Amino acid sequence: MNVRKIGSVALSLLIASSLIAGCGGNGGNTTSNNSTASGKNTDSNKKSDEVIHLKFWGGVPEEWGPVEAIENWNKENPDIQVEYVRFVNDDAGNVKLDTALMTGQDVDLYGTYNFARFQSRAQSGLSVDLSEFDDYNIDEKMGPNAADWKVDGKYYAMPTKRDLHFVWLNKDALDEVGLSVPYDWTWSDMQEYAKKLSGVKEWGIVQDLATWDFVLDSPIVEEGLVAADGTSNLDNQDTRKILETTYNMMYEDKSRPMYGEQMASKMRVEDEFLKGNAGMFYAGEWIFRFANNLKDYPRDFKIAIAPIPKVVADQPNHYVFGGLGDAIAINPKSKNVEAAWKFLKWYADGGMLPLAKGGRLPASSAVSTEESMKLLLDGVEDLYDMDSINKVMFGNDFKTFQNKLPQQIIDTRRNEFQLYFTNDQTLDQMMANVVKAHNEYLKQNK
Amino acid sequence: MKWGKRQSLIGYLFVLPNILGILVFFFIPTLFTIGISFTDWKYTANTYNFVGFSNYGRLFKDSMFYESLGNTFIFLLSVPVSIILAFMVALLLNKQVYLKNWIRAMYFLPYITSGVAVAFVWMLLFDAKNGPINQFLQTIGISNPPGWFSTTNTAMFAYDIIWIWLLLGYNMIIYLAALQEVPQELLEAAKIDGAKPHQTVIRIIFPLVSPTTFFLLLTGFVITVKAFGIIEAVTHGGPGTSSQVLSLYVYKMAFRYYEMGYASTISIILFIIIMLITFIQWVGQKKWVHY
Repeated sequence: MNVRKIGSVALSLLIASSLIAGCGGNGGNTTSNNSTASGKNTDSNKKSDEVIHLKFWGGVPEEWGPVEAIENWNKENPDIQVEYVRFVNDDAGNVKLDTALMTGQDVDLYGTYNFARFQSRAQSGLSVDLSEFDDYNIDEKMGPNAADWKVDGKYYAMPTKRDLHFVWLNKDALDEVGLSVPYDWTWSDMQEYAKKLSGVKEWGIVQDLATWDFVLDSPIVEEGLVAADGTSNLDNQDTRKILETTYNMMYEDKSRPMYGEQMASKMRVEDEFLKGNAGMFYAGEWIFRFANNLKDYPRDFKIAIAPIPKVVADQPNHYVFGGLGDAIAINPKSKNVEAAWKFLKWYADGGMLPLAKGGRLPASSAVSTEESMKLLLDGVEDLYDMDSINKVMFGNDFKTFQNKLPQQIIDTRRNEFQLYFTNDQTLDQMMANVVKAHNEYLKQNK
Repeated sequence: MKWGKRQSLIGYLFVLPNILGILVFFFIPTLFTIGISFTDWKYTANTYNFVGFSNYGRLFKDSMFYESLGNTFIFLLSVPVSIILAFMVALLLNKQVYLKNWIRAMYFLPYITSGVAVAFVWMLLFDAKNGPINQFLQTIGISNPPGWFSTTNTAMFAYDIIWIWLLLGYNMIIYLAALQEVPQELLEAAKIDGAKPHQTVIRIIFPLVSPTTFFLLLTGFVITVKAFGIIEAVTHGGPGTSSQVLSLYVYKMAFRYYEMGYASTISIILFIIIMLITFIQWVGQKKWVHY
């Protein structure tokens, strides 16, 4: 009896003490954090010509340039020291960033990489209205495509980089089957190319699955995602044609991987293309960082690029996903908005050049395209067909768009076309389900 | 009397920190969840409105909810299967087996490995085209092996297989402990009376370890209903929504679409389902659990 009592007393003591210790530990941490943070701030306020500290949250991995860019800034500007905080640009990482923004933790500047997410941030008051500043004209500097990033007619962030989807081509394989580098082409042409290329390669074409979030919106940019009567506009002849062509490439020509298999095995499509297993690769500018890395992705074939094909020849409403990306915003809760703005202008007007190596070409007209292209293709020029690269990336020959569809509908649509691609439903069923879900969403979020 | 009261008061004082912890970190958040489920709060929004039961109304009309619920039940099938397998493995290992300790450790290893890492290994094994599992199936003459994660009607069962394998080690260790408690006299008496080995297992050992089975069933269901990590890591609920379980739906609603109100509603329903399963088992146990 006695022993048992002592035992239980000891146990409750143990539990109690561990809990107290746990609480104490946490409490201690937060207070010490706060005190150092506020300590810094009061320091900088007291001696106003002393150092301001900024925190810049970005989703680009440190080694792809942001740290180098910020080191350059810190050397030039001893009075404003910037620190790069990397968050992983997935759901969990963005929740972390949003929580930090709402609770007013140390975020002065942050990057957003997709418009739907950015729109909800701007509308929730998590970014400074940049029209407050009259010393920088975003429209002038960044060109007409910047307007894609306006929310309710205003800039709440500065889009900083060029964004573009295009088709990567294995030039050697094209030569082998006697095809020329395409420029003005259609989805049917692409299907033909893939069919011929699959004769000499394992795959005629592979596609980055991330691009599927945007491919299908291209034909309805002009008409709009929502029709005039407030219902869904997602069912469109040209959209259907894209889906059908893709389906036929999988099941009839067998010139591209089955969607389900590609998804379930997380096929690394950039590997497949750069190893020379695929003739074409539907992706975009972010592949440069793999294609230029000959150490990890050795190759001896030449790469050419082609624009995203039209759905039908002479398509007047042809748009390509692209324009500008990497929208950098300032946190309204930041204590140093002016300093953050100063940094942001510098970053956009060429400060971000170290990121060009990874494919993030500055959009600002303050940076010459030659300069950023030189950085991008430094030492690997011989492995590219420069004519096609210059023509597609800088020709400004086609209209571009940024996706405005909310994430929920993007996801629902993805679920539905997956079922079409896995033969679980017909195209008609798919479209009916997508439209139904979109209409429901529109009703809910009126 | 007075002395007893004082004693219990001291007792309560001792457990007070623990109870406070449960209140702050468990009970109050649960109450908040119930409260939020009656609002239209979106995570980054500054304002919210009370919308009454409209989230619940939406839920009952939401086809995705029913599909996720169905997938959750398919996922739950793994629990009894894993328990039966674990029981058999434990019976074997309880006998004199060569390299017993090594085998025991081997079975337990999956349980202490990171679930997502395990999921990625299984993803490679299950690869529809070049995966070792399907290549093996093809060599033994199955010309059209299942697509596992890549087809809608097999994805959930592929997860079942992983989950069975993950739970097996833990279930087995608990069973091994329980088997030590089975009195040798009973087994000897059965032997003398001429009971065959399978009769001994079914009539004597299984009833004697039934409290353990009950415990494993209860905790297994709770763990499984809440699990979504491996699914989010491999197929994100696809192809289509064929592997979306209810907990994954809650996660997506809350941390992908920021619909905290609706996500709370689903998790309340999830909570009620777990309660119901537990309650049914609790009532049912009187019929087959022997203490």
